[in-house]
Amino acid sequence: MRIFTKKELAKFNGKNNPSVYIAYKGYVYDVSSSFLWQNGEHQAYHNAGKDLTILLKDAPHGEEMIFKFPVVGILKD
Amino acid sequence: MAKVTREMVEKAGVDVKKLVELLVKNAAAELTTFYYYTILRVNLIGLEGEGLKEIAETARIEDRNHFEALVPRIYELGGKLPDDMKEFHDLSACPPARLPKNLKDVKAILKVLVEAERCAVRGYTHICNLTAGKDHRTYDLAMAILNEEIEHESWFSEFLGEGPSGHYLRRGETSPFVSKFLK
Repeated sequence: MRIFTKKELAKFNGKNNPSVYIAYKGYVYDVSSSFLWQNGEHQAYHNAGKDLTILLKDAPHGEEMIFKFPVVGILKD
Repeated sequence: MAKVTREMVEKAGVDVKKLVELLVKNAAAELTTFYYYTILRVNLIGLEGEGLKEIAETARIEDRNHFEALVPRIYELGGKLPDDMKEFHDLSACPPARLPKNLKDVKAILKVLVEAERCAVRGYTHICNLTAGKDHRTYDLAMAILNEEIEHESWFSEFLGEGPSGHYLRRGETSPFVSKFLK
């Protein structure tokens, strides 16, 4: 499985790359197919290409919404 | 724009630009849902579908009311609706509630309806959390809409066999919670 640094993950922010990735609890998820992650933005407050682990606790949904998407790598600290 | 209104919300610590963006996204979700629910409703036919038509219609009309109620708040806070309807559709806070492939599958239509309502419940809960104790008017509006979205979810959920909604059909007027914003 591909290893991502935070810098590499940031390239998948949906701005200059059709692939839109987010990280959660050490794994990198491909959310490119999601209507709610178009252009790498989610509900006005969140951007792709980042580790969203801490932010999820304030979200109005659980981690099951992230687990619906395919894992494409592991995030290295 | 209501300048002091916006200033008060900013001073309370709310990122007004982001909040307005979120309100526009939810207004888009309401209007597009009104559109998609129109198609879903007309396809709720036959022995299974006919009984669902009335709640689908009530939810459809109330979602349009939510759009109408959100628009003034967007402009009060200095925001605006996009000039382009297609752009408005694509920035919706919820995915399109499209008709399932098998038009005769009433359960599949119900699943589309309940998922749309669940998206809305999540969205307005988020807005309530962001504005509680900070932006009283947006909070009051989001709370009123949330109350109706929760009822919609529970109606469709009941028909899916997930348990009783605890409600009866609306009698007479629609939008018992949001109507105060429409006067």
